[in-house]
Amino acid sequence: MKEIRFENVWKSYGKTEVVKGLNFTIKEGERLILLGPSGCGKSTTLRMIAGLEEITSGELYMNDRVVNDVPSGKRDVAMVFQNYALYPHMNVVDNITYGLRVQKVPRSETRNRLDAALKMLKLEGYENRLPKDLSGGQRQRVALARAVVKKSNYFLLDEPLSNLDAQLRVSARKELVKIHELYRQTIVYVTHDQIEAMTVGDRIALMNEGKLQMLDTPENVYHRPANIFTAKFIGSPPTNVVEVTYLDGKIMFGNQSFQLSPMWVKQVEQSKTSKVAFGIRPEHLEINKTANKNTLKGTVKYVENQGNSYGVYVDLQGDEVIALSESKYWSQGETVYLKPFMNHIHLFNCETTNSIGYPAELDQEETTLERVLIHE
Amino acid sequence: MKINRFVSIPWHLIFIATIFILIFPIIFAVGSSFKSLQDAYNNVLNIIPIQPTLENYQIFFNSLPAIQITVNTFIIAAVVTIFKVITSFLAAYAFVYFQFRGKTVLYFLLISTIFIPFTVTMIPNYLIISKIGLTDSIWGVILPQLADALGIFLMRQSMKTIPMSLIEVAQLDNLSHVQIMRDIVLPLIKPAVTSTGIWFFISSWNEYVWPVLILKTTDNFTLPLALQMYISSEGGTNFTVAMAVSVITMIIPLALYLAFQRYIVGTFTSSGIK
Repeated sequence: MKEIRFENVWKSYGKTEVVKGLNFTIKEGERLILLGPSGCGKSTTLRMIAGLEEITSGELYMNDRVVNDVPSGKRDVAMVFQNYALYPHMNVVDNITYGLRVQKVPRSETRNRLDAALKMLKLEGYENRLPKDLSGGQRQRVALARAVVKKSNYFLLDEPLSNLDAQLRVSARKELVKIHELYRQTIVYVTHDQIEAMTVGDRIALMNEGKLQMLDTPENVYHRPANIFTAKFIGSPPTNVVEVTYLDGKIMFGNQSFQLSPMWVKQVEQSKTSKVAFGIRPEHLEINKTANKNTLKGTVKYVENQGNSYGVYVDLQGDEVIALSESKYWSQGETVYLKPFMNHIHLFNCETTNSIGYPAELDQEETTLERVLIHE
Repeated sequence: MKINRFVSIPWHLIFIATIFILIFPIIFAVGSSFKSLQDAYNNVLNIIPIQPTLENYQIFFNSLPAIQITVNTFIIAAVVTIFKVITSFLAAYAFVYFQFRGKTVLYFLLISTIFIPFTVTMIPNYLIISKIGLTDSIWGVILPQLADALGIFLMRQSMKTIPMSLIEVAQLDNLSHVQIMRDIVLPLIKPAVTSTGIWFFISSWNEYVWPVLILKTTDNFTLPLALQMYISSEGGTNFTVAMAVSVITMIIPLALYLAFQRYIVGTFTSSGIK
């Protein structure tokens, strides 16, 4: 099995602990995204897989073998670096094939792999150029080609697209997925860009402060965040999270209350938490000028243009929440009423910051909805 | 870009004057080396000889083993340069890319030797060389000069400009250190290697104090020692011969400079690797 397994892996530089007890498995042939804010240990994790960083304690398994002491050259790993790391004194062809020449891959085989990579990554016609004569996008593709021709079982990418402009990034993302569908290597991809994580990843491993926060599919990371950090990190603008009190089926925002639906009441009662944090994404918060049943009253602080919608910052008795609205006609100080969509709320335990879970009915409802959509 | 001709005139005058000041002694030396002593004293500032003569060169070649001296100087400079470049390169590579205990302390100690004056090490070195019986031998001149802290420092500085990821890519391709040095590091810091090499060569070529301590017989002399024979009190006042020896001393380093000029200038203008 070409899987990668972390067993209580720690990494520290002197007294600074960068990675704190990682336990997870990267499945064979999947595209796993290591996502997190800068300094969260995601790059260090990737570099430990590559063998460029020593493991302080714990075991790293690759292909069911402990590789802690295996040098990077013997790990069957290809890597794409953020700065591409192309040899400045070698032309495109030499950059791509140098590793193969060193490994003594037969010349005809090298030629075949080179031609295939040049064709796939649209680098034909640039064979003799030096990296300095290439554009950013071309350099990135050369770096990708160099990794592809190695035909390694593990493909590591360290923020490979962060030096490209937005439009190039979209096409490079597609290219990357295409390559993976062709070769089916085990991909580990480091990024701090959540859009990249969502579009490229089969699964996302979200890290913060050296710890794994959540490891799941992009859908679940977005819709079923395991903790407050995940909820706030994923999505833009971030999820609103407000500390509230749970009382008799109601969520208390100061002196206002909000009635939970029976499935949520059951969920909260089961979890036995009274200090809960209430989370709701801005797009799941309806904002109105008139009061309605089960709405929360607040005042508009300011309005932000988000391009396709407007982010309305609302003061909810001291707590600030953002709601998305298609209308821009909101004025500062105006009284508004917020209505959270019951199926899209998130409840967390204030002490552990972990989610109290989601009612089973919610999943069933969604599956039914999916079925309906498919039939239509 | 439009160049303002009038603004640049004063600058050009300054440049011309500077170049003249730098180049005049050389032209003077070359001119004088082809003059008779009489002519040289009568027309000191007239650079072009009235009656060009090879007399001065003949005197040098007849009184001293001139070819042997030139060859000695070249062997010393070449061997010292090659070894210093190799040792500096290897040591710098280790300091940049290897992790080992006491690395910082060792490097600090090494660099501090740059600031120790030659006069301090001169006597211990002389004693060692005489104990192993290498006095009056060019190998005695060469031996203490095979490594150089300044060379290590300079090469380390340029190796540090190479992005670490280039070395890491090589590691992932299972390259040996020899392959990394030969195919990646060396090509990338070639200008620095060449210019430190040239610098080693010229300083060894011009070296006087150390060879004068070690070398006794004229057959083992180097060019600066031969030159000294004509400008010292014992050598008399035949300064035109001294000029001829100067010209010979100057030719080889000058030829080397012209051959490698591109790299030497490149070292000072290139700012890292992009």
